[in-house]
Amino acid sequence: MSGPDTALPDTALVVDLWRGDAGGGGLVRYRVPVDPGQTILDVLTWVQRHAEPGLAYRFACRVGMCGSCAVMVNGVPRWACRTRAIPVARQGRLEIRPLRHFPVIRDLVVDFEAFFARWRRALGRFAPASPPPDALAVIAPDASDRQLVDAAIECIGCGICLAACDSVGANPDYLGPAALNRAWAAVNDRRDDTMGHLRAAARDGGVHACHAQGSCRRFCPVGRDPAGAIVGLKRRLLVAALKGRL
Amino acid sequence: MVTPSIETTTVDVLILGAGGAGLLAALHCHDAAPDLSIAIAVKGLLGKCGCTRMVQGGYNVAVDPADSVERHFRDTIEGGQWLNDQELAWTLVTGAVERVMELENRWGCFFDRAADGRVHQKAFAGQSFDRTVHKGSLTGIEIINRLAEQVLARSILRLEDHRALDLLPARDGNGMAGALLLDIRRGVFRLVRAGAVLLATGGGPSMYRYHTPSGDKSTDGLAMALRAGLFLRDMEMVQFHPTGLALGPATRATGTIIEEGLRGAGGHLLRADGARFMTDYDPRGERATRDIVSRAMAGEMRRGNTGPRGGLFLSMAHLDPAMVRRDFRGMVDRCADLGFDLVGGLVEVTPTAHYLMGGVMFRPDGTTSMPGLYAAGEDTGGVHGANRLGGNGVANSTVFGGRAGDTIARHAVAGAAPPEPDPAVVEAAVTAAIRPLSRPAGDLYHHRERLLDLMWEQVGIIRDGAGLAGALAELEEIGAGIEATGVAGGPLYNPTWQDRLNLGNQVLVARAIATAALARTDSRGAHYRADHPAAGPLDETTHTVVRLEGDRPVAGLCPVAFPRLRPPPPGCIGGAA
Ligand SMILES: Cc1cc2nc3c(=O)[nH]c(=O)nc-3n(C[C@H](O)[C@H](O)[C@H](O)COP(=O)(O)OP(=O)(O)OC[C@H]3O[C@@H](n4cnc5c(N)ncnc54)[C@H](O)[C@@H]3O)c2cc1C
Ligand code: FES
Repeated sequence: MSGPDTALPDTALVVDLWRGDAGGGGLVRYRVPVDPGQTILDVLTWVQRHAEPGLAYRFACRVGMCGSCAVMVNGVPRWACRTRAIPVARQGRLEIRPLRHFPVIRDLVVDFEAFFARWRRALGRFAPASPPPDALAVIAPDASDRQLVDAAIECIGCGICLAACDSVGANPDYLGPAALNRAWAAVNDRRDDTMGHLRAAARDGGVHACHAQGSCRRFCPVGRDPAGAIVGLKRRLLVAALKGRL
Repeated sequence: MVTPSIETTTVDVLILGAGGAGLLAALHCHDAAPDLSIAIAVKGLLGKCGCTRMVQGGYNVAVDPADSVERHFRDTIEGGQWLNDQELAWTLVTGAVERVMELENRWGCFFDRAADGRVHQKAFAGQSFDRTVHKGSLTGIEIINRLAEQVLARSILRLEDHRALDLLPARDGNGMAGALLLDIRRGVFRLVRAGAVLLATGGGPSMYRYHTPSGDKSTDGLAMALRAGLFLRDMEMVQFHPTGLALGPATRATGTIIEEGLRGAGGHLLRADGARFMTDYDPRGERATRDIVSRAMAGEMRRGNTGPRGGLFLSMAHLDPAMVRRDFRGMVDRCADLGFDLVGGLVEVTPTAHYLMGGVMFRPDGTTSMPGLYAAGEDTGGVHGANRLGGNGVANSTVFGGRAGDTIARHAVAGAAPPEPDPAVVEAAVTAAIRPLSRPAGDLYHHRERLLDLMWEQVGIIRDGAGLAGALAELEEIGAGIEATGVAGGPLYNPTWQDRLNLGNQVLVARAIATAALARTDSRGAHYRADHPAAGPLDETTHTVVRLEGDRPVAGLCPVAFPRLRPPPPGCIGGAA
């Protein structure tokens, strides 16, 4: 049976995909049948399954939890699995490129090594000064420090904030929004060694390398506010410096 | 013809998988024995793959003074319909107390607090006490983020974008020699030599038309274990979650979970004609347990009472929209991103394959029947019996992952030369993996559709002997079809090649599931035989075991022991579900 719902030209998206590797590459055009529910990830899957078996792209969870799938879509960093294709297409066209500010491995797959190295340099981990007690800490859920932690954790590490950040473009040593947002969560965690985290955020490439343009907040797909976190860190650092504690 | 290139890496310990089980094993092993060299392999990026990351509900643990590990244990055994290995289940409930404390105080997880400042514990189906610790409805992100950043800070070798292809037993039959991996980025084989190997690739019933696990999970670990001659138990026990999204085959979002709490909060399930049906099946209606709701839905779907995408409908429209928006913000946002309205509209849903209760037979310390090989997490069987309680999955992977890490730290000797692998086994594994690249490309996804549909229809929620026998024959045929299919695109980061390797493992494990399901002639928990609907006498409970004979899975039955808790005598059971 030949139904009218197969790939008629006017029911196809025109998709330009960047293909290549660290040595260079360029855009290749594909026509992808339209389906109302399809996401950017589904567009990539269609190309891989029907046109270009070797197309390299990344995903894992399919639902916006793992942060593996971010790509540039028509110039904007987005999570592929949670972005529907039709609303972000321009006149039926999509241009999909690897995530900005990340080294390319192949096609749309990028290298996260430097992203996590920044996380590490920002002391992005629980590092209490003394061994914690053998009990679960009692902390009121509405305490202001707890609420600051809550606002900062649940980052999915997708790299979109880093892709959107112009400061990191200008200064590759900059720790960047995601790592500093993690540091801010730690600084507000009363179980942790908050001064240690504050010192890490003050180093070269730390909070002072941020030019406060706020793209990280604008593009974060899960509503975190790394720009606010950086402002908070700067304020805390100033107070600590005035008290001579740095 | 592609010529394989093989690189060799030698370590003391090789961990396969970086979910809750793999990460905790790495941390425990490293911190207990810092001299050991440890490698951890993961199919994608560390901290981003697997299902621990996707845990929404939370983590069951008896930490409230009014609760007890004995109660958690009883709930786990009753939920498991007496099929559990009781020593494993006891280790789970006692180990969870220690592990949750450790997650908070050593790794920095910050779970939600109740108004009095103590850790908040919520209700989860099938439990006699509200004992589920959580971080909002994104518990897995908090756990995996905190664990992954600790691994990043240690000298642990990360083999990212590396898939394990096969286990390598020692040439002289004495222990483990390591595993063969594929560096997905470079298309290069990596022979990792290690005398201690942990299998923690997370199972995952991704060979069903509708499934919840992440895309990197394709039962690789279970297939590797079968090929290495290990025994798997309880493979017929596949848990279905009642509400997955039914959005049609054009999107990968199909099969992903719509939160269980929506039914708890009063959501209705409707047929295509708009009528509710759950009250015809159970007095609790939509609030009945996962297995009952899934079975009722499967029955309605078989009768064809379905919507345009083949599913039924979830409706919240009769409830307070402000409540739905407030209490289920993440789900409301997710649905909105995908183009529909969870608050006021209808969402098309289907039961979806969620979790494999079955897996490698192992001991509470993580050892298996093969010296040098350890196993933990969803790759293992016996902890949950016939049904896993919501909240016992992440407890399982974190408790047993950590324990396996401790055991390996005690057994492994830093710098000891690992046994020699059998070169013939290495060569066979390399050849099998690389073969598709030199065969003419075929329609791989046609075989995939057939596999997923067949498992759904005949080895799914409602089974019978004739259907299972037919499915076994057809699975063999599908397996042969997959085996013969080549792929184009070359060796570098080629997702089609990866899918081809995935499917080879999925169809093998599918055959193990069907074989076990045919062997079990009663209905327990997740396993329902329309031709044998009774549970059978509980005190004569047996569990299935499957192993490979040649290249065919064969099943046996073993009695279950009741060292801690005996089933009630016949006549005393209520509707234990
Ligand atoms: C959507 C969803 C929600 C869930 N919610 C809950 C909940 O609320 N509570 C609960 O208790 N449980 C829940 N579960 C179940 C829980 O996630 C799992 O039981 C558990 O976390 C599994 O942990 P694991 O470490 O064994 O495997 P995973 O966390 O799945 O990790 C497997 C790892 O192995 C890697 N891997 C796979 N194959 C290979 C290979 N060939 N080579 C190398 N690496 C490989 C993967 O990339 C991954 O890193 C949920 C599951 C899903 C899918
Ligand atoms: S695939 Fe996990 S966030 Fe998109």
